Amino acid sequence: MAHQADAKKSLDERGYTGALIHGDNPLKLFEKAVRDRIVDSYYWKEQCFGLNAATLLDRALELTFIGGTYGVAQKPTPFLCLAFKLLQLVPEREIIQYYLEQAGEEYKYLRALAAFYVRLAWEKDEDVYTTLEPYLSDSRKLKRRVREGWALTHVDDFVDELLVKNRVCATTLPKINPRVFLEDEDRLEPRVSALGDELEELDQEEEELEVDSGSEGEVEELPHGRANGIARTGSDGEVVSDEEMDGD
Amino acid sequence: MADRKAGAYGAAGGDTAFRRTWDRDEYAAKAADREQKVKEEGKARYEAAAAGKKYIPRASTPPDARDTEARNARLNVADLVGKQTIVVAGAGQGKRGKSAGFYCDACDLTYKDNLQFVEHLNSKQHLVATGESGEVRRATLEDVKERFEYLKRKREDEKSREVVDLTARIEVAVEVEEREREVRRRKRNEKRRKTKDGAGVQEIKVENDGVIC
Repeated sequence: MAHQADAKKSLDERGYTGALIHGDNPLKLFEKAVRDRIVDSYYWKEQCFGLNAATLLDRALELTFIGGTYGVAQKPTPFLCLAFKLLQLVPEREIIQYYLEQAGEEYKYLRALAAFYVRLAWEKDEDVYTTLEPYLSDSRKLKRRVREGWALTHVDDFVDELLVKNRVCATTLPKINPRVFLEDEDRLEPRVSALGDELEELDQEEEELEVDSGSEGEVEELPHGRANGIARTGSDGEVVSDEEMDGD
Repeated sequence: MADRKAGAYGAAGGDTAFRRTWDRDEYAAKAADREQKVKEEGKARYEAAAAGKKYIPRASTPPDARDTEARNARLNVADLVGKQTIVVAGAGQGKRGKSAGFYCDACDLTYKDNLQFVEHLNSKQHLVATGESGEVRRATLEDVKERFEYLKRKREDEKSREVVDLTARIEVAVEVEEREREVRRRKRNEKRRKTKDGAGVQEIKVENDGVIC
């Protein structure tokens, strides 16, 4: 079993025979403009030619930033080119899971790449959620290339973006049902947050704050003009206002 | 097409050594090969027709075609920056023959641009010339795991081999600086010599040294 070294045949839209994702050529998950930029880029031509799922690791381990396209000419990042290559290769599930779990444990950019692929290519919503949610507790930093310059993000930030946003890294992500919908349909269990008990405590404080302001019968003006009403707690659990905390 | 070295009226002809000459024997052999292929194809068609089947002409991949693999190292393109090459007078027009720029040995073609060069290296023409099929072996989970372990080990080895000693690093850095200063001095002197008449030499700086990446 072999696949072609370059993507010309799969890019040619006539008579595509091969794995289908969401009912269509996997390469079509990227828009035409982005596809053209990738295929014309030097990185794709030099480094992404003749890769298979194993040699792709060579390139993926050398990644130092994530991103979509940048600059005036919409230059694609190596991250995007490798994601495109993964879409061309359509590796087996186990290989992607290996990228995410074991190999990604040590190389965070590989994990980001695999997560991006999972979100794009896997068709069952439940699988996407259950596979990506464990990484919402991975707080390693990622460097991100944005249109003009750089930004800082984290692995869990990135995974959250993938699950919530519409457009990430120059691609429109395929539609998935929101988690609430899946929980209602009983296809998924309600989410257990990694924050666990801390979340409950936070919720309790919010309730207490509401109760306090309700009994006074006035609308309090919060110090420093802050819009949200969350006050911080001191170590003894009492609700302390901001002014007192500033003395620390 | 007899001997053209002598002129028509016995005048001395010029030197025509740089013109292309045709190797008759080689082309005779090629023609014989082709005739044989046509005969064989004709036979195959005849047999297929006799058996009532349709003859499908298949271009045969040479049996020893290797699987295409990914590049091991980056193309060394930055070396050619600022280099001055002497080109043979009879270098072919266009891409054929060795000329200034990036030269591909297997196909005898020159490219003016590293982007075009890389495109050529990926093309069918070049793959056939180097005896590679355009197909890549599909990797299994085992392959992936092996490769990962190998790469991890390689990276760790490289890291451990890095010189951590501060004094050694300072020495190395000082040496590198000295070399760079010398090179700069030489270049400055050359420029000054060239422009004795007072007109400055315009340095044209291209983005990223003209290398496309």
